[in-house]
Amino acid sequence: MRVLVVEDDPDLRRSLAATLREENYAVDIAADGGDGLDKAKQNAYDIILLDVMLPELSGWEILQQLRPANTTPVLMLTARDAVHDRVKGLNQGADDYLTKPFDIEELLARIRALIRRAAGQTLPVLTIRDLSIDTASRKVLLKGEDIPVTAREYALVEYLALHQGEVVSRTTLYEHLFDEDDSTLSNLLDVHVSNLRKKLGPEVITTRRGHGYCIE
Amino acid sequence: MTSPFQSIRWRLQVWHGLLLLLVVAGFCAPGYQIALENQLQRIDKDVSQMERRLFRSLMESAKGSLYPGTPETRDGDRPMISLGQLLEYLREKPAALSADVAALFQGHDPGYAYFSIRNSHDEVLLTSPNAPEDLTFLPPAKSEHLEDTRTIDRRREIRRSSPSGFRIVVGRDISQDLDAAKRFAWIQAATCLGLWVLGLGGGWWLSGRAIRPIQTISKTATRIAEGNLKDRIDITDTDSELGQLSKVLNNTFDRLHDAFERQRQFTADASHELRTPITILLSETQRVLKRDRTPEEYRETLQTCNHTGQRMRHLVEALLMLARQETTQGLNGHAETCDLAGVLEDTRVHLAPLAADRGITLHTDLHSAPCQGDPGALSVLAANLVNNAIQHHQGASGTVRLSSGMRSTGEPYFAIQDDGPGIPTEHLPHIFERFYRADKARTSAAGHTGLGLAIAKAIVDNHGGEISVQSTPGQGSTFEVTLKNDRSV
Repeated sequence: MRVLVVEDDPDLRRSLAATLREENYAVDIAADGGDGLDKAKQNAYDIILLDVMLPELSGWEILQQLRPANTTPVLMLTARDAVHDRVKGLNQGADDYLTKPFDIEELLARIRALIRRAAGQTLPVLTIRDLSIDTASRKVLLKGEDIPVTAREYALVEYLALHQGEVVSRTTLYEHLFDEDDSTLSNLLDVHVSNLRKKLGPEVITTRRGHGYCIE
Repeated sequence: MTSPFQSIRWRLQVWHGLLLLLVVAGFCAPGYQIALENQLQRIDKDVSQMERRLFRSLMESAKGSLYPGTPETRDGDRPMISLGQLLEYLREKPAALSADVAALFQGHDPGYAYFSIRNSHDEVLLTSPNAPEDLTFLPPAKSEHLEDTRTIDRRREIRRSSPSGFRIVVGRDISQDLDAAKRFAWIQAATCLGLWVLGLGGGWWLSGRAIRPIQTISKTATRIAEGNLKDRIDITDTDSELGQLSKVLNNTFDRLHDAFERQRQFTADASHELRTPITILLSETQRVLKRDRTPEEYRETLQTCNHTGQRMRHLVEALLMLARQETTQGLNGHAETCDLAGVLEDTRVHLAPLAADRGITLHTDLHSAPCQGDPGALSVLAANLVNNAIQHHQGASGTVRLSSGMRSTGEPYFAIQDDGPGIPTEHLPHIFERFYRADKARTSAAGHTGLGLAIAKAIVDNHGGEISVQSTPGQGSTFEVTLKNDRSV
């Protein structure tokens, strides 16, 4: 999952990025509104964390320019907690609203929920036949048995499971699993897929030649 | 409007009613009096005319018997007879009144007339048959002729008494006139009452009209008190006293609203400014506590937390400073004689290392500028302005000039001039506002709270001075502080 964090406070930006990376998100950061808008337009993110008070362009302005063309879930982070501020945010196309200061766990839970909902899933545990993926505890279970997977492997299987039945191209996968600073070669994806097949069984992830991967 | 007599309208009405009553009564009562007197005068004239006819008739009768044979038609030919002679004549034989005169003095029909004549010995010489029993006569006159007119028991009488002993009472029944006067009095009273009631109604209407703006004001003020601070009194008549009052009230409401807004904004801003550092503390500690870390990672996190704590300290100190400067009015006895040149020199020494870190040189051009002021606050003021110049200097190197001196008018001043990027014109009016940031960026990482210039302004205000800024984008800004003349403090 790839996240864009638009936050002007350097300490908070660093801290949020570190937290999300430890949760295996691919994280891009932007320190001002202009940079944030550019990145949000250029890259395919699974979620955008948007501060309201930003230099150059405010969070509201970014939101206005993104919607309705861009449907990426947006979680507003702001220090303003008046009801009308929250209502304004949600009315202008934000998907959720979190008031500073917040608990990291709540932020993570909301991010997970927003990503899940954007993919059309309602439950935190994704079940596909024998396979179940617990997005809250980030665990992969096969027939009730905990299968140890690496962070990248988990991210890969989670993305495919969220988009169950869709053929996901290698480019899309690459975009959503690696952040802008990541120089990992795209053929690493094949390595991750083959490792997952070894752990979960060969038939879980199918390859569509020339199109991409799919969990049916 | 708890009790009717506490309401201005009612009090006005009561006073208005009393005054109107006085005025109406003051006009009507004398009017009645005059009318009554006129009536009496008319009656008196009437009575004396009757008396004259009676007299003439008596005289004719006396002359006729004293000088018989003289033709009656030629008055002047008969000699005059005196009252004494007439008395004698009347005592000796009953006089015969002419028929028309006798017809005057008889009966008891309303308006009947009567008379009675006596001599000085109270002998009744002649009396009309209808004369009342209780007639009283004037006492016998000594040398002067006595005469009076009186109203007695619904009768009007003229009484005379002459030194010759002739005493007469001629009277008339005036019950009709009295009844008419009574009717007139009633009509008069009813008219007065009507006028009064009409006046009261008019007064009520007028006072209602006069008071209506007050009710509007009161209603608006109530709405404002209930929290609708943006409501204002609608002023249509700006020149009347109430219009002026409304204007004054509206201005007061404006000022209150502004103060309220500032306070609200300040609280919101303060809490907003504290929210971000708290978020950093929570986020960093929660992240690190999730699992075991290397000592290096712990150190890094602790540094971030320490830095954030410092930032909060700066903010709280700045808020307290500002609150203190804004709640005290004037210098409150902290004033002492100090020299702005000395204050600026201290500031230069203090901030030179920070400036050097950023490649900025501090130049001074200091001339003695003695002033009355709070030295602590003045050094905060100078430090804030110099700090501001250093913080906003984006170039690799630059110069900040500190100068002080006396104006030709005798006021001490100092100026902080930088050659930084300058401040865009649209931001100039706002830079002294709390938490106002020209670039909308939070450069808080550099220890900047967004309160520096607000504090500077508050300090200058407390010193009764002026702070001004001139800025040319791309060439730099100059902040100038002019304090009050030493002697005028």
